[in-house]
Amino acid sequence: MTAPTDFDALFRPRAVAVVGASATTVSGGNRFLRHLKNFGYQGPIWPIHPKAAEIEGFKAYASFQALPEQVDYAFVAVNAQQVPEVIRSARGKAKFIQVMSSGFSETDSGKALEKELVKAAIDADVRVIGPNCLGTYSPSGGLTFTAGAAKEVGSIGIVSQSGGLGVDILRRGKNKGLLFGGLVTVGNCADVKPAEILEYYFTSNQFHTIGVYLETAMGGRRLFEILRKYRGVKPVVLLKGGSTAAGQMAAISHTGALAGSQAAWQALETQTNLISTATLDEFLDVLLTLQCVGAAQQLADGVVLFGNGGGTSVLGADAFSRHGLRLANLSQHSAHALDALNLPAGSSVANPIDVPAGALQQDSGNIAGKILSALTLTPGAMIVIHINMTVVTSFSHVDMLGNLIDAVMKLRTDAWSAALLVLVLRSDGDTEMEQIKRKYRQLAIAAGIPVFNELSEAAVAIGAIRRSRFGSVAKSGSLS
Amino acid sequence: MPLAQDVTQIIAKCIQAAQAEGRSALLEPEGKQILCALGFDVPNGVVVKADNNLVLELRHLRPPYAIKAVSAQVIHKSDFGAVKLGLPDPETVEQARNDIQGALLDRGINADTFLVEEMAQPGVELVIGGLIDPEFGPMIMLGLGGIFVEIYKDVVFRICPIDASDASDMVESLAAVALLKGARGRKAVNLDCIKQCLLLLGGEDGLMMSKSMPFSEIDINPFIANATGAVAVDARFILKLNRDHHDSTN
Repeated sequence: MTAPTDFDALFRPRAVAVVGASATTVSGGNRFLRHLKNFGYQGPIWPIHPKAAEIEGFKAYASFQALPEQVDYAFVAVNAQQVPEVIRSARGKAKFIQVMSSGFSETDSGKALEKELVKAAIDADVRVIGPNCLGTYSPSGGLTFTAGAAKEVGSIGIVSQSGGLGVDILRRGKNKGLLFGGLVTVGNCADVKPAEILEYYFTSNQFHTIGVYLETAMGGRRLFEILRKYRGVKPVVLLKGGSTAAGQMAAISHTGALAGSQAAWQALETQTNLISTATLDEFLDVLLTLQCVGAAQQLADGVVLFGNGGGTSVLGADAFSRHGLRLANLSQHSAHALDALNLPAGSSVANPIDVPAGALQQDSGNIAGKILSALTLTPGAMIVIHINMTVVTSFSHVDMLGNLIDAVMKLRTDAWSAALLVLVLRSDGDTEMEQIKRKYRQLAIAAGIPVFNELSEAAVAIGAIRRSRFGSVAKSGSLS
Repeated sequence: MPLAQDVTQIIAKCIQAAQAEGRSALLEPEGKQILCALGFDVPNGVVVKADNNLVLELRHLRPPYAIKAVSAQVIHKSDFGAVKLGLPDPETVEQARNDIQGALLDRGINADTFLVEEMAQPGVELVIGGLIDPEFGPMIMLGLGGIFVEIYKDVVFRICPIDASDASDMVESLAAVALLKGARGRKAVNLDCIKQCLLLLGGEDGLMMSKSMPFSEIDINPFIANATGAVAVDARFILKLNRDHHDSTN
């Protein structure tokens, strides 16, 4: 196998060039320049333009060859026909060139042009990302291609075949509490393949968790080999879009007829311990769970549900059961400790533990901390706390919600408690409620507690991790 | 490690013969010769012509016998009435040979070559398959076999190369695994033998991973497993359309 590609220069470029920004209008190149400036990129930014002296406030250069020195990263957004020539002209002056332009192999008429692009990349000795993509996000390098991405550096590395979905992952992910270390939109993968970037994520200490959105394998053999080589080293979450037309062969044999288009992807998931997800939200929720609980921690299959709302508890238990998890039996110690609390009538002290909000106001809501402490006496169980915020906040004489969250947070920070905590903040969708939820979500996630909007969402995400080989045999993989 | 030289030579000879006759698949005796060279168990058998003396030809085989037509035109033999099983002596084999010939003639197929084999010991009918996936390259399949394989669809695929733990995992992934482990008082089948055969086909040194793999699809069906071992009772090897082995998935 070939040596891993060193993408350090891509993720932390010392200088950036932009080809295709206009001196008179606002093009993709201009937007890229503005995003970069607003994001606070620290290195020199050099627009390349045949005539203009200055673009977006940056001194422009007539060509790659006119640049003061080699750039680590160049962003190219020109007409597709011009791209091979632009790449050729960058010889010795750029390491990585990301081509935003479309009109290549994604169309029948552009296939020949893409071959020309690959040849130009080889001739110029540069690595090309794309074409037909949006860019690269790397907060540690001050690099972004979209407004509204977080500046905080996280440990999740993403490869997205789709540019638009890459933006969704960054922005919706940010609002869910995810922190990314890098995201590369790879488009047509004419030169740089997803497998190469994955290998970088696997081997770089900056990344703990990996997410991949793919529609086609883009070098399936290499993808399999890399994922197999590093399986179990870091969790990899897959969101696979579409069913491959190429997979539907005119089969003669039983084997061919039975394969269908997804057999290979299912095999890939099993053989390389991928965590497979079906929707963008599930993908992000799984990543959030891994970010909070840490890659090494195995999720228990036994769940203890605690919250206010009997129907919600029942539906939640159903959802966890559908996704391969079960309600844990409370230990004798837990049961005794709960009994000793003398919870008011209407409370259930068997799992799921359902305590009406009226009962939770006991002791200014501090009773919740005592219940939680009792639940930690059931070893190995995951404690899922669900709060109907509307009901709880209606007891306005006491900050019951705040006290509940405090109790959860305290349990997290108590050194003696190894219990895995999950928080479900259920809101009615009112603006005020959503604002409160946002505040507590951030607090909890910062403390390493994954937060979901509904019990069913938690069940889907935790179930996906548990179902995967990664969840069931975490850390048993090897580099051999 | 590449395939053993004798296997490579047998494959080359079979491909040559198929190409010379314009066939897109190997004949059953050719396929079994390859499997045998790879290390699979195949039934003892003999290829006979329509007019061969069967008492003489079958003298080294132990009854009961099975007879099948050997013809590139017969795709699914049982659908064509081109297989007769459990025949006790050369006389009934001769009768079966005539019946098959007649049945195929009704379909306009002139069959003059037959494969007579010892009947395999009873067991669980499995299928082992190989194919080249357009994105991921060589893959291997294990499933509940027999003539209803496409009805039950109890199959599991893996990307090659597989290792021993993948092979175990494939067996364990079948819904029919309980049958293999001896459901309802039956004897468990020899699982090691099944795993070994999966590796012969899909392992690091197996046929699917060999450099000039000339086949696009392989069916070993039925692959009959019992307590003592597992036998490849039928084999179908489909040739790649062009003989260009450049692997586009790399």
